[in-house]
Amino acid sequence: MAGPLSAHNFSAQARDHASTLTVAALSSAFGVVLLQATGIIATSVESDVVGESDSVRLALSIVTTVFTVIAFYVGAIVTANTFSTIIAGRVRQIALLRLIGAQARTVRRAVATEGLLVGALGAVLGLAVGMGITVATVALGIRSGWLPALEYTLLDPIVAVPVVVVALVTWAAAWVGSRRVVTVSPMEAVGAAAETRNVGGRRTARTVFSLLLVLGGLALLALGVIVGLSFVGGLLIAFCGGLASFTGIILGAHLVMPPVLRLVGRLFGSAPTARLAAENAVRFPERSSRATIGLVIGVTLVVMFAVTMESYRAMVLESFADRPELAAAIDQSVTLTTSIFLGLVGFSAVIAAVGMVNNLSLSVLQRTRELGLLRALGFTGRQVRGMILAESAQMSIAAVGLGLVLGVFYGWAGAQSLLGSINHELMAPALPWPLIAATLAGGAVLALVASIAPARRATTVSPVLALSVD
Amino acid sequence: MNTTELGLIARVAHVSKRYGEGSGAVAALDDVSIGIRRGEFTAIMGPSGSGKSTLMHVMAGLDNATGGQVWLGDTEITELGDSALTVLRRRRVGFVFQSFNLVPTLDVRGNIMLPFELDGRRPSAKEQEWVDHLIASLGLLNRLTHRPHELSGGQQQRVAIARALGTRPDLVFADEPTGALDSRTGREVLALLATASREYAQSIAMVTHDPIAASHADRILFLADGRVVDDRPRSSAEEISRIMLSMESAL
Ligand SMILES: Nc1ncnc2c1ncn2[C@@H]1O[C@H](COP(=O)(O)OP(=O)(O)O)[C@@H](O)[C@H]1O
Ligand SMILES: [Mg+2]
Repeated sequence: MAGPLSAHNFSAQARDHASTLTVAALSSAFGVVLLQATGIIATSVESDVVGESDSVRLALSIVTTVFTVIAFYVGAIVTANTFSTIIAGRVRQIALLRLIGAQARTVRRAVATEGLLVGALGAVLGLAVGMGITVATVALGIRSGWLPALEYTLLDPIVAVPVVVVALVTWAAAWVGSRRVVTVSPMEAVGAAAETRNVGGRRTARTVFSLLLVLGGLALLALGVIVGLSFVGGLLIAFCGGLASFTGIILGAHLVMPPVLRLVGRLFGSAPTARLAAENAVRFPERSSRATIGLVIGVTLVVMFAVTMESYRAMVLESFADRPELAAAIDQSVTLTTSIFLGLVGFSAVIAAVGMVNNLSLSVLQRTRELGLLRALGFTGRQVRGMILAESAQMSIAAVGLGLVLGVFYGWAGAQSLLGSINHELMAPALPWPLIAATLAGGAVLALVASIAPARRATTVSPVLALSVD
Repeated sequence: MNTTELGLIARVAHVSKRYGEGSGAVAALDDVSIGIRRGEFTAIMGPSGSGKSTLMHVMAGLDNATGGQVWLGDTEITELGDSALTVLRRRRVGFVFQSFNLVPTLDVRGNIMLPFELDGRRPSAKEQEWVDHLIASLGLLNRLTHRPHELSGGQQQRVAIARALGTRPDLVFADEPTGALDSRTGREVLALLATASREYAQSIAMVTHDPIAASHADRILFLADGRVVDDRPRSSAEEISRIMLSMESAL
């Protein structure tokens, strides 16, 4: 889009859309690889056990579809958020276009079209990467013997599905994320108001709906746990309850995340750097909620899955304590299944992390003037770096922390409703400590990595910038 | 003789500032030597592009000169590194800019106290008394918990003035402090600066291209094409306009 509606220079455009491109490419590559893997596994099973291929294919398809949908969904949240950040940085430019007579809808449509183009480009890139990975893996597998040497259909037209879906999802996410365009007043081009706040309309309906989902979901979850004490069927009830309540939490992220971010911010003390960082993290509650909720989803899913599997493993090992060989064999297969599934769910967390890193970078870029002001008033380079690291840490800790708590809770509820009928008693959640430690370490690394580029950029801001009027 | 013995609070000697290289180079400042007198309200005037802001940036340690020497008090700041300059700005200089003066995430009180906080200290009882006095006399008492976006332009400038005066800096720099205000509000802000200079003997250097703004000052320095071309005591707006017009026609 090089029309008048994006009078942006190319490098600024590239910077704006780096995140969306990455997320689209990752999502599409993930979808392509999973689809290909389904086909390859089904084909290789077919050669082994005749007749079982169809059911294997179906089961695999369901599993891969679920994981792909989760990854795409997280990607969509990330992209919508990226676009609202981009719009925030273009407010003046949009206001100018509005001033000279552009329709809000036209501007918004142009922004969404940018999303479609970037999404399509990313999706095609992802297709190339995904194809590359599968072709290389198949070749390697056949050569080293763990994959039967068969004719695999690697050019199945079905791989176009994730590509098209990713492009469309990115388009939709760009449209949702550019909602703010409609509220930009032409006055913002002329007014000296340097910072106008987008308070946003009250989303009463959304709040009520998410509250209902959470409460209803928790009630179902409790019912599932109670029923699970006597019947295995409790898991189904609990699953519905978990799905409903978690959806409620995601929908109500704008209510959940800001207090969590504030709470974490308070841990950082009251030095001016920490206080400013804490304020920055909740400056646009809507934005920081969406920047972090993707990561919350990813971490919750990973931890939930690990806790359930750990409970299951503990129970199995206990039941087979007198038959060590059998226990070891089961243990091995459970561990393998768990790792594969964790890898699949974990991918969503990676996409969410990419989104968070980019979000922080963009928001720092948009604060150039403010950073210049702080430097003029006597913030040292170190203080600026500290502030941005604190901001980044706050977001990571809030997201990973909440994800851990939710994951342990849902994982426990799942295990309890699934396994409760065996001993007819409530059990404590089995905690997979290595995974929890790894998650915490991942959060710490993320906080650091996310802050590197923006912190470097922020310290090169010349204080003179704060004084020069555009 | 050092700066203090000259009765000055800041001084530049043979300062030049060049942007760009070769034939495209612009000399924003060309061999400027001036002193800002202690306790005075000095206006720096000149047409747009004459180097006023550049001079202020160099004097405040925000930007490096290409050549020459700069003193703030008796400290030569020309050779200071970034962190020494930062601490100097924090403790000994106050700023009022044209717009975007305040940190949007802090309320009025937070913005006024920011220089103390950056220094990692609480104001002493005497300093707190002074800040409270400033807050009251600038009419900000019932605005302390407001965020900048809830304030009018004039109120934002008052907060910036309170912050700039709060640490009793050696010198307050103001770059077109009324440039974004309507004329009535602009007058009020100028009166506040003039009062601060007169009543508290606060040294102020104000960059402006508005003759009426400059008429509030004790002394007016005129810049054109990066050089100081005139240096006048307090003058009326009419006289200042006349000088400006003659400078324009001389170009
Ligand atoms: N960062 C910069 N890069 C290049 N030229 C600059 C820069 N800043 C200022 N200048 C030039 O230096 C001259 C003086 O600018 P400035 O001090 O801002 O003037 P004033 O404040 O009097 O309007 C102008 O010609 C301006 O174009
Ligand atoms: Mg200027």
